Amino acid sequence: MSADVIVQALPHLGHQALFGAIAAAGFGVLFNFGPAMLIWCGAAGAFALAVRSGGQDLGWPLEAASFAAALATSCSAILVRRWLGAASGAVALAGCIPMVPGAFFGHALLGFFAVTTVQPSEAITPVVDAMQYMLRVSFTLGAIGAGLAIPTHLIRNPDY
Amino acid sequence: MAETIDSVRVRHRDLERYANCALSIGRTLMECGTRVKVVHDGAAMVARGLGVEAVGLRSGYASLEITVGHGVNTITRMMPVGRHGVNQRLDLAVRRLAAKAAAGGMTVDQINAELAHLVASTPRHPAWFVALATGIACAAFGRLLGVDWPAVLAILLAGTAGQGVRHVLLARNMNFFVVTAIIAFLAASLGGIGARLNGSATVDMAMMASILLLVPGVPATNAQADIMDGFPTVGSARVVWVVMVMVFATTGMALAQTLLGLSLLGMTQ
Repeated sequence: MSADVIVQALPHLGHQALFGAIAAAGFGVLFNFGPAMLIWCGAAGAFALAVRSGGQDLGWPLEAASFAAALATSCSAILVRRWLGAASGAVALAGCIPMVPGAFFGHALLGFFAVTTVQPSEAITPVVDAMQYMLRVSFTLGAIGAGLAIPTHLIRNPDY
Repeated sequence: MAETIDSVRVRHRDLERYANCALSIGRTLMECGTRVKVVHDGAAMVARGLGVEAVGLRSGYASLEITVGHGVNTITRMMPVGRHGVNQRLDLAVRRLAAKAAAGGMTVDQINAELAHLVASTPRHPAWFVALATGIACAAFGRLLGVDWPAVLAILLAGTAGQGVRHVLLARNMNFFVVTAIIAFLAASLGGIGARLNGSATVDMAMMASILLLVPGVPATNAQADIMDGFPTVGSARVVWVVMVMVFATTGMALAQTLLGLSLLGMTQ
């Protein structure tokens, strides 16, 4: 990949990282993280969204990019465990919350609702659309969960 | 003979207190949204710190069971678990208490008193701040989903109002799923109307972003972690719970779409 391509991708990566940080920190407040940990949540969200967006810019599918982002975020949280302590796993999870495909889930369920409003002969497209959304939700959630969990199973955590 | 019987009774009463104390720790952790493995570890650490030799735990979505044993005496007790939420600061504080109790030297009364103090005094962000932060998070989510700038303020206000009303309704012990449907309808309507009035070209996505505060992201990822950790019962229950929440959220949103005259098919494109 040339330097020009990287430079062209930076505004998009910056946008995604910024709003990933805001979303993660905002939900960190909802999850009652302390003030210091909210900064870490924002950093984790920015990192996760930057990795995922970078992967998608390279042509990876959403599921693969989400897995890579969750894996990288979980590993990074373990690396800075000295400062995060037992909260490292929770911070990594908060950072990955902006990647949870809630909108896809809603689209899938709305699609299934819509199937009931059309004639059977016209239902194929809505059914396939809804199924695609549901499969993407399942695979993306699975990818995020696996990416977060694998490092914690490979690296022993001395903190409780 | 009489002394032997009394001694056994006392031992059982002690074990019962140990069991209930360990269950209280486990229940609090579970209600904080912790993975089941952490719940089991915490309860077992407390029981062992109190002098129990053998500990076995079983967890359901709405209850915890523990069997504790010392010598020839064993006792099994169960405790209901309340609504699962996410409370990171209380979670960490209770984990520290469990680690302290595991080191030994604490009595049941001391552990119970400290747990009660933590539950009562662990700080929470003010409700207005949580609502505002949630609204801002929804607006940020909206940008990640590709909504245009005219819709951002509408999403922020809709998410803030949604979280504020959710806080009030849940404090009144209203059914969680009913609250989810009500908030989805309210937030999606506000987000959609606001985005439309502001000239947004992404009204449908604005409505979707406005209800993202309802998406149970932590339980969804915990479900998988629980199954990977060897607790498929709770993991599966969490999955069912997540699906139910999304069904109710989508129902509320579909009603809001009907109100705004948007077709279901149009929203899924």
